[in-house]
Amino acid sequence: MTLFRTLRRWQLLLLLASLGVPIVLMLWKPYVLIEGLQRGGLYAVIALPMALILGVVGIINLAHGEFMMLGAYFAYWMGVYAGLDPLVAMIPAVVAFALLGAITYVLTIRRALKAPELNQLLLTFGMAMVGTEFANLMWTSQPLKPHLSYVYSSVALGKLRFGTYAFIYTAAAIVLLVLLQLFLRKTRLGRAALAVGQNPRGARLVGIDVNRTYLLIFSVSIALVGALGAMFLTRHSVFPSAGSPFTMKSFCLIAMAGIGNLPGVVWGGFGLGIAEALVSSFRGYGGWADVVFFAVLVAVIMGKSYRRQTA
Amino acid sequence: MRMTRYLPYVLGAALAALFPLFSGAYLEQVAVGMLIYLTLALSWDMLLRSGQLGFGTAGFFGLGSYAAILLFLNVGVHPFVSIAFGGVVAGVVALLVGLAVLRLRGMYFAITTLALAGIFAVVLRNFPGLTGGSEGRMLPNCIYAGNTTKIYWLVLALAVFTIVISEVFERTRIRLALTSIRNDERVAKSSGVNVFKYLVFVFAVTSAIQGLAGGTYAHVFGFVSPEGSFSANFLLLPLAMALLGGVHSTWGPVVGGLVLGALSEYLKLQIPYGHLLVYGAIIVVVTLFLPQGLMGTVRAWWRRSHVTRGAQ
Repeated sequence: MTLFRTLRRWQLLLLLASLGVPIVLMLWKPYVLIEGLQRGGLYAVIALPMALILGVVGIINLAHGEFMMLGAYFAYWMGVYAGLDPLVAMIPAVVAFALLGAITYVLTIRRALKAPELNQLLLTFGMAMVGTEFANLMWTSQPLKPHLSYVYSSVALGKLRFGTYAFIYTAAAIVLLVLLQLFLRKTRLGRAALAVGQNPRGARLVGIDVNRTYLLIFSVSIALVGALGAMFLTRHSVFPSAGSPFTMKSFCLIAMAGIGNLPGVVWGGFGLGIAEALVSSFRGYGGWADVVFFAVLVAVIMGKSYRRQTA
Repeated sequence: MRMTRYLPYVLGAALAALFPLFSGAYLEQVAVGMLIYLTLALSWDMLLRSGQLGFGTAGFFGLGSYAAILLFLNVGVHPFVSIAFGGVVAGVVALLVGLAVLRLRGMYFAITTLALAGIFAVVLRNFPGLTGGSEGRMLPNCIYAGNTTKIYWLVLALAVFTIVISEVFERTRIRLALTSIRNDERVAKSSGVNVFKYLVFVFAVTSAIQGLAGGTYAHVFGFVSPEGSFSANFLLLPLAMALLGGVHSTWGPVVGGLVLGALSEYLKLQIPYGHLLVYGAIIVVVTLFLPQGLMGTVRAWWRRSHVTRGAQ
């Protein structure tokens, strides 16, 4: 009972913080709030497919960011050879990466499902390295970026003038979250996936094809992250190691939210984005923004181990 | 009987020590790189024997490089002292990280250590006055003025030191503790093994070895930089070597290091920009199809052939 009460108090505090911090920031440093929501949206939207794989298939995909990086290259070359805008290239990217995800699953992941966790981590780490070095070999380490005029659109609110395009990431994060939640709760397939994630053996007993569900979820997630790579390209340049920070930050968000908590991933993403934007807003300390996620990750791990000891 | 048992070791050591007598500067250079990576591979495997997958090799390697070079440049101590300092710094940082992160293991530990190289690089870049920022620092002179034979012996000493530590871990009660932690942590705990203490200890020792390797490497090549010293190669190659050779033993990573070290020179000439792709592929293929590595497969084959011969 006391645990229940403290939990409620914690939730109340969290709620107050999540309302209070933006209000304070809006008055103090409005740019931090805007930049943080945009940045955080990107982190959140990229972390969602990884959370889906971890929640259903139970594999932590260390090559997650690399699939995004390959998606960005895919969109770049679609732009060069077919003249497609990266946002249009998201459509072929979905198809191509669903296929890539299915092939990856059948050739590698499926064989490692029963292996110890360490082997799965090693496997996806090796895949990440293959992805990075493949990009290095094919396109060198030169950063590539298409020129798009529409990403510089901005809006003026009173004295405040800010870019509006990057809110596409914020919107994408919320839309993808809603779609995934609807899929997992309302559709037959999504409910089956949820059941498989909770208990693969039980799911098999009630007649769900576990292997096909894994295949589906893995391909869908890779398709999503490939398409998000195209969206990433509209604002950022792509180079072989562009993806690896996103793997780490995505994992940080998932660890923060807890496995299976998709809304938590999105809120965590916004929190991380705002924290990073806040750190970079202090002149001379901008370089420290890249350390924020690590501090959060270590704090989360310590908090979790503390809670496990007391519980 | 005792003599013949130690014969292979003595022969191997003699061969390694006398290598410069019948090789040129180029082969010595190749061997230096090979032995550095072999040291990293072995230290990575020493941690893996406790069931913990660490990805911090490149991070502690770079940290040791920086610590050694900065102490050498700013205080002017003997290079050996600065290399030892690199090892100590890496070990102490690993101790602190381990105390915080080893409470949760598995993927949490693996990914936190994977982030370390990037974090150390960012931190060092943000103190440009001391570390030279993103340019890094250069030594006026490499160790031994670039004499490859002496450098070879120095690096060989490091590799032999690591092999000895690894064998100490394998032949004392540390091995029992680590193996039981790897097999089942709860059983280990209930048999009185202080799991957390052992894990932090092993993590600190292996990271200190990686720091020593980094300090040595930095003195051999005469520079440190955020990109160069924390390069993912110092993680990718050792992992590929240890996995290919076979994990959970001293000789697996050593054999893997020698095989891949020799192969890497060939690959570098064949595909100059993409040879690292091969190491990634080796990690994937070995994890999927050859989890025992070369040594494990050979050992299993040896055992099987002996058993069948005994039956006849």
